[in-house]
Amino acid sequence: MDRRIFLKVTAVTGAGTTLASCDAPVHQLVRFIPEETHVPGVAEWKPGVCPICQAGCGVLVRVMEGDAEVVRNGHAGVVAMGLAKKLEGNPEHPINRGALCARGQAAVQLTYHPDRLTRPRKRVGARGSGQFKDVSWEDAIAELLSKLEALIAAERRSALAFLGTPGASARADLVDEFLTRFGARPAARFELFDNDVLRRANELSFGRYQLPTFDLDQARLVLSLGADFLGTWNSPVSQGAAYGQMRQGRVGIRGRLIQVEPRMSQTGANADEWLPARPGTEGILALGLARVVMSENLRPAAGAGRAGALVDGWPAGLLDYTPEQVEKRTGVAAARVERLARQLANERPSVVIIGGAPLAHTNGLASALAVNALNALLGSVGEPGGVSFMPQVGRTNPPASRPALQMLLADLLSSERSPIDVLLLDGGVNPVFGSPQAWRTREALLKVPFIVSFAPFLDETSALADLVLPDHGFLEGWDERRPESGARVAVRTVAAPALRPLFDTRATADVLMEVGRRLGRPLELPWQTFEEMLASTFETVPETPEGDGWTVAKRHGGWWGAPATSAPVVRPRASTGEPPTPTPQRVGDPQFIGDQAAFPYHFLPYASQAFLDGSVAHLPWLQELPDVISTAMWSTWVELNPKTAARLEIRQGDLVEVTSPHGALRAPALVSPGLAPDVVAMPVGQGHEQFTRYASGRGANPVNILAPTAEPVTGALAWAATRVKIARISDPDGSLIMMAGSLHEHPEGGRD
Amino acid sequence: MAYKWGMAVDLDRCTGCEACVIACGAENNIPTVGPTEAARGRAMPWIRVERYWEGEFPDVRLKFRPVLCQQCDNAPCEPVCPTYASHHTEDGLNAQVYNRCIGTRYCANACPYTVRFFNFFNPTWDKPLHLQLNPDVSVREVGVAEKCTFCVQRINAAKTEARADGTNIKDGDLQTACAQSCPARAIVFGDLNDPDSEVSRLSRSPRGSLLLEEVGTKPKVTYLSRQSQA
Repeated sequence: MDRRIFLKVTAVTGAGTTLASCDAPVHQLVRFIPEETHVPGVAEWKPGVCPICQAGCGVLVRVMEGDAEVVRNGHAGVVAMGLAKKLEGNPEHPINRGALCARGQAAVQLTYHPDRLTRPRKRVGARGSGQFKDVSWEDAIAELLSKLEALIAAERRSALAFLGTPGASARADLVDEFLTRFGARPAARFELFDNDVLRRANELSFGRYQLPTFDLDQARLVLSLGADFLGTWNSPVSQGAAYGQMRQGRVGIRGRLIQVEPRMSQTGANADEWLPARPGTEGILALGLARVVMSENLRPAAGAGRAGALVDGWPAGLLDYTPEQVEKRTGVAAARVERLARQLANERPSVVIIGGAPLAHTNGLASALAVNALNALLGSVGEPGGVSFMPQVGRTNPPASRPALQMLLADLLSSERSPIDVLLLDGGVNPVFGSPQAWRTREALLKVPFIVSFAPFLDETSALADLVLPDHGFLEGWDERRPESGARVAVRTVAAPALRPLFDTRATADVLMEVGRRLGRPLELPWQTFEEMLASTFETVPETPEGDGWTVAKRHGGWWGAPATSAPVVRPRASTGEPPTPTPQRVGDPQFIGDQAAFPYHFLPYASQAFLDGSVAHLPWLQELPDVISTAMWSTWVELNPKTAARLEIRQGDLVEVTSPHGALRAPALVSPGLAPDVVAMPVGQGHEQFTRYASGRGANPVNILAPTAEPVTGALAWAATRVKIARISDPDGSLIMMAGSLHEHPEGGRD
Repeated sequence: MAYKWGMAVDLDRCTGCEACVIACGAENNIPTVGPTEAARGRAMPWIRVERYWEGEFPDVRLKFRPVLCQQCDNAPCEPVCPTYASHHTEDGLNAQVYNRCIGTRYCANACPYTVRFFNFFNPTWDKPLHLQLNPDVSVREVGVAEKCTFCVQRINAAKTEARADGTNIKDGDLQTACAQSCPARAIVFGDLNDPDSEVSRLSRSPRGSLLLEEVGTKPKVTYLSRQSQA
């Protein structure tokens, strides 16, 4: 058919075709009237809050008009609406200073994920089967209300419980207020890699139940004990920015980094020196360093005054920490201990960081206290180039006497009748995945008669719910966070909705307020909407020429205090005369679960670069991100030292079985030079049974086989204290997918 | 005056966090290919972080190097293209015209840096992930080669804006997606024809070197070496 005939034919048949298409509704494109106006092709930048971790970075989202398929009043159609195209760091934000990490960049996929829950659902199948039916918001909220009214009628108000993730925010305050007014139990909060041991240590040492901020950009020497502060720990973007400055941001000064850890982390790879110490002996090393500093009189004059309370009387107390004894216990050579101590004392400002696995041992709190004291001794507390605490807005959540999730689980498992009738599960909290099987989390939660989840995705925990009331997606609702670390000034990150909700979801904060209003005897929360609550918390912020505090915060993506001229001063608490327990002068040997003969290897699970604790394993961009150490994608693996692998006749990719006293798992082996021969390491994040099409059924979850042992004072899970054995099962099963394998990588000697 | 876009990557700042990798994929509509195709080496990261192990435990070292198209002045990918899909722009970029490309893959074979990728199949996005696609960047179909463009869509937008203002693009006003997201500020992008630009300054650093300099491709990406001292 040439062009002329084609035109003739279309002219004749065109009218008919148009009419014919009206009969088949499937060919009709219903276009709804847009609810907002955008200039096509022109981008608007709106502030947002990164939801991925507790760092609380500020983002800017690029919003442009596009066509989205939506459902309106039961009709499917298309509407032009503002869509999120790209996230960038908010350049004004004091924590991330315009940058974002890989996980933050991928956060936009939370909103446009194909397996997001699009409307309220009610369970129809067995619990955990994932079988639900759609219900209306009206019916869903009515059902929740009837359950709550039943609690009130039965005088069992305390049988209402809430389980969420940690972190200070207005939303957390609202939940607390709701629970208090209702008369429910206090909210339980859980995150596998939470840093409660370090917070508790800082409370004992400095009176601040808070994570520390490190002034890396002014430091000359940084000693990091196991903290992957450039990759996954605390506030990685803020710390990465400061690290860049520390290395090349000053004329003539290049700060140095020494990393101590049994497995080379991303941070360890950047260190000038890397020292593998025996797992769990980092605090012993810190005391050995302190002893050398004192016995050689290297203690800087500046350190004496403020540090006094923490370190006075130490020389007598550190008799057992001679370099030789430290070598015996930690595996770090005595001469190296002495040299390291002299470097810390001479290359000032110097600072010591402890985080991650060293605190996940039975002696974790003692190790953290030892490092706090060492920093005080070095004169690095509250000084430029040292460690300090970020000023905080509002109250910080007081530490529970025992970790709240364990308390909840113990209550559930120990009693015949569940002490909890209704459990509210917040989005993002997934203890069924993130806790050892030995905790029997799933079994405990199944005893609760009625579970309501606010999760935007079905995961191992939210799949147990009877009623799912999905929260708005990231960027679709009001958000606010109060970061505890990473800046010199107080920060509140805040953002208005940047996008209209794509689906029939509702902001959990507003749902709670509605429930509070509609109870027979209303809870009388002081606000009608979450927006109103946020605005009210900004009333005390002073007005500036730009406008009142609330308006300015909305425009800039948050509020931050004026830059302090120097790092905030922190006073050691010991001046009250009450000696902190346990004393910083003693770090015991770590205790491990598993007999050394039967279970010869230390098992080291670690937060993975792409997935952290696994809560973002459902994002396809992160699944396909090659791990920077192993270059593996879409995979999980068991890391082995080359000598260990050779002895066990295990080759790269072979399927191996890792067995602990509390379970076993199978995964492909990855032979990695940066790992001690007596350690077996494994990234956390994969091994989801149920977490969207991208993460479900992929790999194994190392958390499953951990022993349920705890740091004794805080009760926090000692996730690095399990021993394992390892056995080869079979040849490669093809599940280990490496990027470097196809890129013909050759080491280039002497290139840099 | 014409621009000459270049980049400096400070390996002493780079932490290997790979924020650049996701930022690039998000900006440039790079599809994920899934585990099966990824295992066949068909993932298409325009920028990747290469890692090199040296030594044996415990004296082991690990070095990172972000590798992207080096935008060579003497680019091996250009003369081999029979359709001029792969060509040199006025600004010195190695550009790829997708609708001229007939998929010979000569360019990818000629490139010594392995930074050109072939679309073995049509890209797909599970709905509604496609709503995130950047309307400023073409989605590439099956059978064409693709590569880092130095975010040419951002360059063009900045040029248009500068022209409207009657000025030139100022140093720092324009960043590639990888540079913008980099927490440690290891990646710096700018105009090498401006001797005062930060990228020019860094490219003159005594720590600077070019990747595979000896093959004579004249890259416009300068790597500043890590200053490790034990």
